[in-house]
Amino acid sequence: MLYLQLLVNGIQTGALYALIAAGFSLIFGMTRIFHAAHGATFTIAGFVFYEFYAVLEWGLIPSVLACAAAAALFGVLLNRWVYVVIQRHEGSFFTVFAASFGAAIVVQNLIAIFFGKGMVTVSTPLSRSIELMPGLYIAPMAFIAVITAIICFALLHYLFTHTNMGVALRALGENPVLVDVFGLNPKSLGKYAFLIGSVLVVPAAILTAATSGLNPAMGHHVMMISIAATIVGGVGSLRGAAMAGLLFGLAENLSLAFFDPQWSEAVTFVILFLFIIFRPGGFYGRAIVS
Amino acid sequence: MKKILLGLAVCQAMAGIAVAQDIKIGAAFPLSGANAEYGEIFASGANLAVEHVNTDKMLKGKLVLVYEDSQGLPTAGVVAVNKLINVEKTPYVLSAFTGVSKAIAPLGTRNQVVMVNGGGVGPDLATLSPYFWNVIPLANFEVKAMAPYLVKEKGLKRIAMIYVDDPLGDAALQEMKTELKANGGELVGAFSIPVAAQQFSGVAARVRDTKPDAVYIATYGNQQVQLVKQLRDNGVSQPLASYSAFSTPSMLKLPEGEGTIFTSQQINVNNPDPRTKRMVADYRAKFGKDPNMYAINYYNAVLTFADLAAALQKEGKPLTGANLLEMRKKTPSFDFVGAKVSFADDGTVKAPIQINEITGGASKVIKSAQ
Repeated sequence: MLYLQLLVNGIQTGALYALIAAGFSLIFGMTRIFHAAHGATFTIAGFVFYEFYAVLEWGLIPSVLACAAAAALFGVLLNRWVYVVIQRHEGSFFTVFAASFGAAIVVQNLIAIFFGKGMVTVSTPLSRSIELMPGLYIAPMAFIAVITAIICFALLHYLFTHTNMGVALRALGENPVLVDVFGLNPKSLGKYAFLIGSVLVVPAAILTAATSGLNPAMGHHVMMISIAATIVGGVGSLRGAAMAGLLFGLAENLSLAFFDPQWSEAVTFVILFLFIIFRPGGFYGRAIVS
Repeated sequence: MKKILLGLAVCQAMAGIAVAQDIKIGAAFPLSGANAEYGEIFASGANLAVEHVNTDKMLKGKLVLVYEDSQGLPTAGVVAVNKLINVEKTPYVLSAFTGVSKAIAPLGTRNQVVMVNGGGVGPDLATLSPYFWNVIPLANFEVKAMAPYLVKEKGLKRIAMIYVDDPLGDAALQEMKTELKANGGELVGAFSIPVAAQQFSGVAARVRDTKPDAVYIATYGNQQVQLVKQLRDNGVSQPLASYSAFSTPSMLKLPEGEGTIFTSQQINVNNPDPRTKRMVADYRAKFGKDPNMYAINYYNAVLTFADLAAALQKEGKPLTGANLLEMRKKTPSFDFVGAKVSFADDGTVKAPIQINEITGGASKVIKSAQ
């Protein structure tokens, strides 16, 4: 029963990781901007949801909308007023990275000032596990996480395969110069990549608020998962990021059956190293070492 | 023009005099990152002590507390303390966290700078150096109090332990093994978790699998809050027990933390001595709540410096780490908030340990110290 329990936990954690990684993978894959402040977007979304839902008690839908608005606003404005400005002055990849990293630290400190430096959680009975059979505990939140992930990735799949916007974004990820030649504006498309990528953190941020809680410094962990999943999944592949997230969740939990918990994070990085060495293109993407 | 230059020179000279009169001590606290909540609590007590020292003009000169961010991490702690010693020239540094304290202790020894810990509880902090002092009882005393309480008084003999993979966690595990054996209990499982881990549903499954009577937790900061929430959410319904790190506001407010028991040093905030009355009254006026043991410990740490420095100034000796150490050895006792205490030869103070329960968002003493 322990194996089944760990498998279920792995799927829930994997769904959460897939949702966390999707936004970063989308932004990095489409714009090639190393958006290190993606973790900050996640933190902002989580804390705005907490403020509106648990403190102001606005109810679920208005709180989700406020959370999505805050995440989208932060992502789009950071792109418009920081990344675009740096790129206009021909700033390098690392200049953009440094600016993004700095923005993440500023956000972390601002959140600590406004919300305090400790943990906050959104209490809901949905995160409480029920014993479905002897030794197997599953929380309703596990089903919500998996269903939310499926819906999000189905919507993204539709967006990128059935809409002009999605096709243009994919083209931007493939060849931004050619996009320009075809008369599309890469900067404008980049704006949409940031909008969609930032809003994508919302489900994961809400699920995290309810299951493990929020703290101002959580952005680093989010970035670690996002970067690892983007590399393992393949740069520019949302399907790959989803699969990598799921793989990490399963590996982290199933490894507990064989190793002490202190090694569970190491398992994630062993997978990452194996991919970098033997399959640098990840599941579906292009080689990142070129 | 000459007048202006003369004026500037006088101002410069006066500023120089003012700076020279400042007496600096340092604090390497976690001011950012996952343990920043502790830094806030530590600083609340230390700052109040500085205010009191300066208001009372205890020293010839203004006492200034210089902060550096240790992030609760050994590497960042070493950087912070190097700056406090080499740039700020502080003879006395407040330290916290077992891992950080162990990393910075050699710097104190090498530079003859006194380091005072009021937050870390790893038992080996007692043996680091003559220049490393502890104003908090260490974890071995806390585990010694909790193990017999769980086994003998509550009849909870099968204990599973979750501990952070750092010096504090390792030390707590060793103490728990010894104490359970001595008290007729059994350690049915010990699960170490990485310092930065945040997902614990799998750990909960492993803990449930051991069918313990109670679970003892030895971690700190935001991680302990996440751990307790996820243990409860994932079907671990057995009593949870821990040590003094559970006294943070985040932990006390956590609904899933209700009923958790933890040990802490006993401090009588109703003690009638003037130092205790003043500290507690001013803390309540400033923060609207009672000071917890961490705030009191760092208040005591700063007041200890002030007492020693005042004695050294009276004798006309410079405020160096070596002189502070010598003066501490000559001083039989110190007026701490809550009690009069003496330092043992290894630089530690001992205090009785009480057992508390989290109930209704606050901690309640369920067993007073013996």
